[in-house]
Amino acid sequence: MSAPGSWLWLARHEGRLALRDLRHLMTGGGRWRVRNVAITFVLLAIGLHLIAFGVVARHADMTLAVGTRGFTSITGSLLLTFFLLLSQALEHVTRLFYGRGDLDLFRSSPAPLRRLFVIRVLAIAVSSVMMSFVVALPAVNVVAALGGLRWFSALAVAIAAAVATAGIALSLAALLFDTLGPRRTRFAAQVASAIVGSAFIIGVQAVAILSIGTLSPRDFFDSDLVLNHMPGPESPLWIPARAVLGSAPDLALTILGAAVILVVPMVLLSGRLGGYAIATASVSHGGSRPAWGARLFRTASPRQLLQRKEWMLLLRDPWLASQTLMQLLYLIPAGLLLWRFYGDARGALVVLAPVLTMAAGQLAGGLAWLAVSGEDAPDLIATSPISPLYNLSAKVEAVLIAVFAIFAPFLIGIVTHSWTAALVIAGAILLAAGSSTLIQIWFRSQARRRYFRRRQTSSRIATFAEAFSSVAWASAAALAANESWYAIAPAIVAMLVLAGTWSIRPR
Amino acid sequence: MNMAQSVPALRVTGLRKSFRRPAVDGLDLRVEQGKFYALLGPNGAGKTTTLRMVAGLMQPDAGAVSIFGIDALADPVAAKRITAWVSDEPMIYDKLSPTEYLAFVAGLWGMDPAVADRKSAALLELLELKPHAHERCEDFSKGMRQKVALAGALVHEPKLIILDEPLTGLDARAARLVKDALLARVRQGCTVIMTTHILEVAERMAERIGVISRGRLIAEGTLDELRKQSGSINTSLEDVFLALVAEQETAQ
Repeated sequence: MSAPGSWLWLARHEGRLALRDLRHLMTGGGRWRVRNVAITFVLLAIGLHLIAFGVVARHADMTLAVGTRGFTSITGSLLLTFFLLLSQALEHVTRLFYGRGDLDLFRSSPAPLRRLFVIRVLAIAVSSVMMSFVVALPAVNVVAALGGLRWFSALAVAIAAAVATAGIALSLAALLFDTLGPRRTRFAAQVASAIVGSAFIIGVQAVAILSIGTLSPRDFFDSDLVLNHMPGPESPLWIPARAVLGSAPDLALTILGAAVILVVPMVLLSGRLGGYAIATASVSHGGSRPAWGARLFRTASPRQLLQRKEWMLLLRDPWLASQTLMQLLYLIPAGLLLWRFYGDARGALVVLAPVLTMAAGQLAGGLAWLAVSGEDAPDLIATSPISPLYNLSAKVEAVLIAVFAIFAPFLIGIVTHSWTAALVIAGAILLAAGSSTLIQIWFRSQARRRYFRRRQTSSRIATFAEAFSSVAWASAAALAANESWYAIAPAIVAMLVLAGTWSIRPR
Repeated sequence: MNMAQSVPALRVTGLRKSFRRPAVDGLDLRVEQGKFYALLGPNGAGKTTTLRMVAGLMQPDAGAVSIFGIDALADPVAAKRITAWVSDEPMIYDKLSPTEYLAFVAGLWGMDPAVADRKSAALLELLELKPHAHERCEDFSKGMRQKVALAGALVHEPKLIILDEPLTGLDARAARLVKDALLARVRQGCTVIMTTHILEVAERMAERIGVISRGRLIAEGTLDELRKQSGSINTSLEDVFLALVAEQETAQ
C-alpha cells in the first residue's frame, strides 16, 4: 500500500481515472463488454495493418545506405507525426490548468500540488506514447515482418518523439501563460494547437503546390527541389532518421534527447504549475461592453432573432469559434491549388470539389451541433411562442447560411472560370452540409456548448455517419466535377448512409 | 364575477406521466386568475413534472391542460404567448448581457421594441441588475443569473408565471427582491404558480396551496382550509404539510 499523497498514491489515482476515461471512450458510457471491445480492437488492428502495408511495405528493405533521399522522406514522416502529437499534447497540458474538476479539492488539501502536476504531465507523455503506438506500431510491424526486427528501433524513435512532445507542450504552455496571462492563454493555446497540428502538412502541401504542382508530400520530399537543399547523410539532422533505420548510437542519442526535453521543463516549471491553475480560477470575463446585440435583436423577426443569436454566440466565444473554424485551415492548400491552376482549372477542380465538399460537411456538423444540441437556454426556447419546427428551420438556415458565407469566396473564384463547376460544387456543399445537419438533428442530445469537443464521443454513430456522408458526397463531387456519370454511385451511397442513420436514430 | 374571470388561469384534468413508474398520476388542478398558488410536495412527488407539462416542456401521456381557456396541448403556441417559465437552474446565454438577453426574449414574444426597452430598463432597475446590464452573464453568480431569468420571464407581461423552486440558492436580499417582484405582479392581476421547499415562503405568499404526493393532489385550499383537512388547528404550514403527507403514505 502506498501512503496517501505519495508519488505512487497519486499515480495510482491518476491511472484509475485515465483507465475510466479510456473505458468511457471505448464504450460511450455503456456497459463494458469485453467481447465487443476485443472485436473492435482486432478489426481496428487489421484495418491499420492493411493501410500500413499499402504505405510502407515497399520500404521494408531500406537500410542506412539509403542516403539523403531516404533520410528526407523518413524525417518528413516523423515530423508529420511529431507535430500531430505535439498538437494533442499542447491541448492536454492547457486543459491541466483550465479544467476545474478536482483541482479545488487538491488545492484545499495538504497534498503537494507540484507532485500532482508532475504526475499529470507524465500522464500526458504516456498518452502521447499510446497515440504514437497507434500510428507507428502497424507500420513497424509490417516492415519488421518483411525486413527484419531491426525495424523495431523505429518504434523506440516514435516513443521518444511522443515523450518529447509532452516536454515541448509544457514549455509552450508556460511561455503562453507568462506572456499572455491566464485570460488569453486558453484561446491562444487552442489556436496554437490547431496550427501546430496542421501547419506542417499544410505548409508542405502549400510549398508542394506552388513549386512542383502536387498535393502529395511524398512527391515533394522526393523532388530535386527539396533534395538539393538537404545536407549530406552524415548531418546531425538525420539522427532520428538513422535511428529509425537501426543505428544504435543514433537511437541512444534520440532517446536521450527526448528524455532531456521532457525532464528539464518538468524540473524547471513544476513549481509554477500550481500558480497557473490558481490564476485561471481567478480569470474574469467581465467588463462592460456596448450592448450592440440588443440593437440587432430589436430589429429582427423571430426567425432572424434565432439566427442572429446563433451567430452572435459563436462569434463571442473565441474558443468555440476556433474549434469550429480551425478545420478550415485545411482549405488553404485547396485555395492555393485553385490559384495555381487558375488557367487550367479542370484538374484543380477535380481536387477542389471533394476538399470543399468534405470541409463543408464537417463544418456544418459542428455548427449544427452547436445550434441544435448546444442550446444553452432550451427551456426558454421551448416555452416561447414559436413552434418547434419554426425554431428548428431557423437554426438549420443559420447553419447553412454560415457555411455558404464561408465557402462563398471559393465559389466566386470558381464561377468566374466555370459556371457548371461552381454549380456542381455549390450543390455538393449544400448536400454535404444538409446531410450533416440532418444527422445532428436526428441525434440531438441536449448539452452545454462547452462540451462541444465531447460531441464526437457522445454519439459515435452520428460522428461516423457524418464522416461517411461527407466522404460520399465529396466523392460524388469529384466525379461530377470531372463530368462523370459515375458520380451517381457515391451519391446513392451518401443517401443510403442517410437512410440507414435515420432508421437507427434515437426516438 | 364576469365570464372572463370565471375562466381559470390554469385547469389541469386527469394529467398522467410515467417514466419507469407513474410520476404524475391522474392529477386534477384548478388555479383561479390573479392568485398566488404554491404547489408543495415531498421530493419526487411530481411537482416539477406537472409544471413542465403545463409549460409545454414535456408531453403528458394523458390528460388536458387549459391555460386561460386555451387548450395548451392542442394550441401550445397560443398558450405560451401568455405564459412564462422559470426553473430552479437558470438557463441563460453566458455570452449575452442582461440587456441583450431581455431584447432577445422580447423579440421571441414579438413585443414592440420600444415597449420592450422600457420594460427591460424597469426590470433591470427593480431587480438591481442595472449596474451589470451590459456585462456578459458568464461571470454572474447563481442569484444574479436567476434574477436575469426572472426578468426574462416578466418582460413580456405574461398572464401566468410558472416557477419551479425559483428561490433555490438565492441570498436573503435576492430572494426578497424576487418575492416582491412576484407579489407585485399578482397585485396587477397576474397569476403565479410556484413550487417551493421553503414552506415559510408558501405560508406567507400563497393565497392557495396544493399538496402533491405520488403524482396526485392530496389536499388543496387556503392555509386554514388545509389545517382543517389535516386536523391540526393553529399549527404552521410545515406541520400541516407533514401531517398530510404522512396521512397519505399511511393510507397507501
